[in-house]
Amino acid sequence: MLKSGKLWIPRLSRSFTAKSKRVVLGQDTTKIKHYEPKISATHENRVYVWGFQETGALGLQRNIKKAQERYTEMVHHPTRLQFSNNNDITDVTTGYGFTAYAVNRSDGETLFGSGLNTDCQLGLQPKPKSKEPANLDVIIYPTAIKLPREAGDTDEGMKVRSMSAGRAHLVVVTQNGAVFTLGNNSYGQCGRLIIEDECYTRSAVIHRIPQADICGEQDEIVSVECGQDHTMFLTKLGKVYTCGWGADGQTGQGNYYSAGVITLIAGDIEKERIVRIACASDCVLALNEHGDVFGWGNSEYGQLDDSPDAEMQINSPRALQLTKGIGKVKDVAAGGSFCMALNDQGLVYTWGYGILGFGPFVEQTSRPQHLLPPLFGRNDFSNATTVVSIGCGVFHMGAVNSDGDLFMWGKNRFGHLGLGHKKDQFFPFKTAINGKVTKVAYGVDHTIALCRPHI
Amino acid sequence: MALAKVYDAATVFKHLNGIINVYKPAGMKLKHVRNAIIGNIAKGLNEMELREPRKLARDTPLLGTGTAADSVLHNIASNTDLSDHILAAGPRYMPRDVRCATVATLGDHTSGVLLFGINDGLKQSIHIQRNRPIRVYHVTARMGTATENHMPDSRVTVRANHRHVSADRISGLAASLQASHQRKMYEMCGVDLQTQAAYELACKGLIRPADNSQPVLYGIKLIHFERPNFTLELHAINESEQFIAALIHDMAIELRTVAHCSQLRCVRHAHFDVTDSLLRHGWHLPGIVKNLRRQREILEANPQLLEQERIELHAAS
Repeated sequence: MLKSGKLWIPRLSRSFTAKSKRVVLGQDTTKIKHYEPKISATHENRVYVWGFQETGALGLQRNIKKAQERYTEMVHHPTRLQFSNNNDITDVTTGYGFTAYAVNRSDGETLFGSGLNTDCQLGLQPKPKSKEPANLDVIIYPTAIKLPREAGDTDEGMKVRSMSAGRAHLVVVTQNGAVFTLGNNSYGQCGRLIIEDECYTRSAVIHRIPQADICGEQDEIVSVECGQDHTMFLTKLGKVYTCGWGADGQTGQGNYYSAGVITLIAGDIEKERIVRIACASDCVLALNEHGDVFGWGNSEYGQLDDSPDAEMQINSPRALQLTKGIGKVKDVAAGGSFCMALNDQGLVYTWGYGILGFGPFVEQTSRPQHLLPPLFGRNDFSNATTVVSIGCGVFHMGAVNSDGDLFMWGKNRFGHLGLGHKKDQFFPFKTAINGKVTKVAYGVDHTIALCRPHI
Repeated sequence: MALAKVYDAATVFKHLNGIINVYKPAGMKLKHVRNAIIGNIAKGLNEMELREPRKLARDTPLLGTGTAADSVLHNIASNTDLSDHILAAGPRYMPRDVRCATVATLGDHTSGVLLFGINDGLKQSIHIQRNRPIRVYHVTARMGTATENHMPDSRVTVRANHRHVSADRISGLAASLQASHQRKMYEMCGVDLQTQAAYELACKGLIRPADNSQPVLYGIKLIHFERPNFTLELHAINESEQFIAALIHDMAIELRTVAHCSQLRCVRHAHFDVTDSLLRHGWHLPGIVKNLRRQREILEANPQLLEQERIELHAAS
């Protein structure tokens, strides 16, 4: 009762020992340094690259001599692309040994590329100033690809709407509706007539097709997807137009010929509104707005049809019976010998032949089976995590979850899984990327990820 | 059996076995907490009904000195062994009579759940420790200043701005750190990643580390943000105070600022929660006995705390 008038004040700060009193309280606070780090702007995308570097597809090297040194052929860990630091990269696509970047720049350039340029799939690049003959087949650092402009084309209109790359060709759709095709056209994949014995090295041909010539005035092309040697265009109304190599029926035109004429394909998708096409080599999956899956092309491993008397090649789009039981499909991906689907519950299904993610013993499944959610980061501490997008290259698969983590598995050709070693990975494993992955371009021997930085 | 009130110190001491859950205040060394606990136990026991001094086999009357005090001496029972009297032998219970060991250590700056095994409970404490249960921390960081040992009571080394840091940025970084630590967990579990065993482990989700050599973080979550402070909830095994403080420092660098750890509180150790924790004013014998009983109930409800067969880990344990 004696102390009732006195308020007991809780001690806010810690007591100090005699020594720390001298050291801490006696510190000259005016001399404390101020740390001012550079803070990246929030809109900026970061690009991480890994895999086979000798083709120059990663665009990390700046010096030809250094690029030829030993131990530079592979990049095992995701590495930040220096080019993305000073350029606002909006989209990225990978071909077989080359990469194309869609860029927002003040000087009006919208498309950059690096990597193999044997068939001028990255355009005819000028010789550097130095006297020694530079190897123009390989571009080691992203270089502007000058798309031919017509009168009235603005910088805004020339921005990339969608692009995709195949084995040796690149197709770009710009905002003003023009389609540009670059590179090899030996199967008609560039959407122009096949010329016998055409020489593609040091060729300056960039073919320009107005979208009205492909799909008419009422419709517009929203995305383009390239297989190994064929090209598919997807329109706003959900129609699919194809051209290129059709030896496995991958053009879906009902025959096995190669065609340089862009044709509307029918089959089972005639009355469907297709929203997504996926293809890495010669097996194609398409998805309609109701979540049904269609497929055509190579089915050697029973990817499209698992019945015992199934055809090896399917030359016109067919509604898949395999995926009937897995619910509404949100996303599809087709690799060289396997397929993937993501349903609305966030479960990833894989089937076909190869490393499917079910451990080292499972090499083949004919029915789609789902990978367990714990493999994609679902556990007691993050129990709402689901897979939001999937994709695959010819030999490897990947999935991005709602936390922005990228999980990869499959054959580890030239370290393109980004796990830090060359060994194959038999189940999904997180790659170490410092950022939230928004888009991944899966190449045949390299991978490019577009990320948002943490801050 | 009806409950009977016990006044006898020996009975209490006989049943003083098990685990207690003590709330360790920040800034107090673990050693001092332990000494306070066992000191209070001994003090409490000594205040109860104690054993009488031993009786001698035959009467040995005390020799008188031939003074006025003789009549007092004759009143003392002649068969009492006076060498066993409290006044001669000292207190019946000494702090060193109580065996007491921690389940896992907490640093000086950390407050919160601290488990002690008392007497026969030492065995249980060893078992709990061997099962490597998860500990949950609430860590408050203060942005703007970095200190030498990442704690508040040392010299400030650097100052920085933190205007650009927002709650969603911190949570984003936390989620990504969490995924990276969980990935490290598979690499640490001692299984070759290219095998079927690794696949089966990965399908189970989270797994415990094989040894106590390295800290493993399972969950990192932002639970409170109020500039310049933010609070993270950490789920970890094998962690130490220094590790957590360094983590806060590294996170701040990643957020393009600097920070130090201003509060560290362990809110849960396995199933032993901070709500059952014995606060400092309750560190007396009745409180400790009550707490022992409560922790025994928890152990009985969760026998896996003592005998763990699963390698996979769940957030609750």
